[in-house]
Amino acid sequence: MAKKRERLDVIRDILLAIRENRKIKPTRLLYASNLSPQMFKEYIDELLGKKFIVSEMDENEKKFFVLTKKGNDFLNEYKVIEKFVENFGL
Amino acid sequence: MNILELIIENREVMKLFYGAAITLICLIIVLRTDKLFRLSFHEGIRYFRNAFFFYGLGFFFRYLFELLFPISFSFSAFLFEFFIVMAGFFLLYSLVWKTIEGSQKEVRSSLFNSRIFLFYFMALVITLLDYLWMTFLFMFASQILTFIFSSVISYSNYKNRSSRNTFSKFYFIAMFLTLIIWVLNAVASLLFHWHEGILINVYAVNFIIFLIFLWGVLEVTRRT
Repeated sequence: MAKKRERLDVIRDILLAIRENRKIKPTRLLYASNLSPQMFKEYIDELLGKKFIVSEMDENEKKFFVLTKKGNDFLNEYKVIEKFVENFGL
Repeated sequence: MNILELIIENREVMKLFYGAAITLICLIIVLRTDKLFRLSFHEGIRYFRNAFFFYGLGFFFRYLFELLFPISFSFSAFLFEFFIVMAGFFLLYSLVWKTIEGSQKEVRSSLFNSRIFLFYFMALVITLLDYLWMTFLFMFASQILTFIFSSVISYSNYKNRSSRNTFSKFYFIAMFLTLIIWVLNAVASLLFHWHEGILINVYAVNFIIFLIFLWGVLEVTRRT
């Protein structure tokens, strides 16, 4: 049975999906994140609140998400955070 | 003159260095983990940092503040005990928070929330009881219990570790040594009237324990 994703893993997956696409529409991101709509909204609100991502509008007034520098920093440091949590059993 | 006599003759200077070194180690741990916490808002990292924040405060007030700004011994001992008990609780909680808090994601204050108030309350009761009865019995009992749990949990983490994780063994050793130190402290206090030979060994091992924690933190965060 697949291991349940930890919160940090979910955040990494969402941010990676945004980084790989440079900018991504909410619906595509929902599919990419493999979350329920309700959980997806909770995570997106959290990431917007922490300024890891921003929501912007394109020329057709369609919403999309873009990674911020802080979100990029998180992805770069993710391995360190993961190792720290594992080493200290946190 | 052997080393033990030399240390005992210069005990005040040694205490100052000991207190300063441990306060510095705690400060480094808190500062080195700041970026990791701010990026992840991981509750375990938060409680781990809180533990060393309180250890730092405890050693600062017990060994540095008291010497630099003479206050009554009982007051500095009271503060020391309160902070050290809080630190022990935080260290244990950093290992069990996931079981207790589940998947809650709300970001609360690091030092003031309902669960943490329970720690403050218990630490205050323990410290007050010791203060009123002029003993350290309650602190010893609380910390020995705390580190029995912490040792068991960190041993379980070590056993369930992934193959690339080598530090979890040292973390378990640090937790177990801390348990031994609290037992030795209690023995030195209750049976040997704070025998200096035992205490010097306790200080030495305690210093090594803090170095293990520091090494663990620096080893992971050296690239950040």
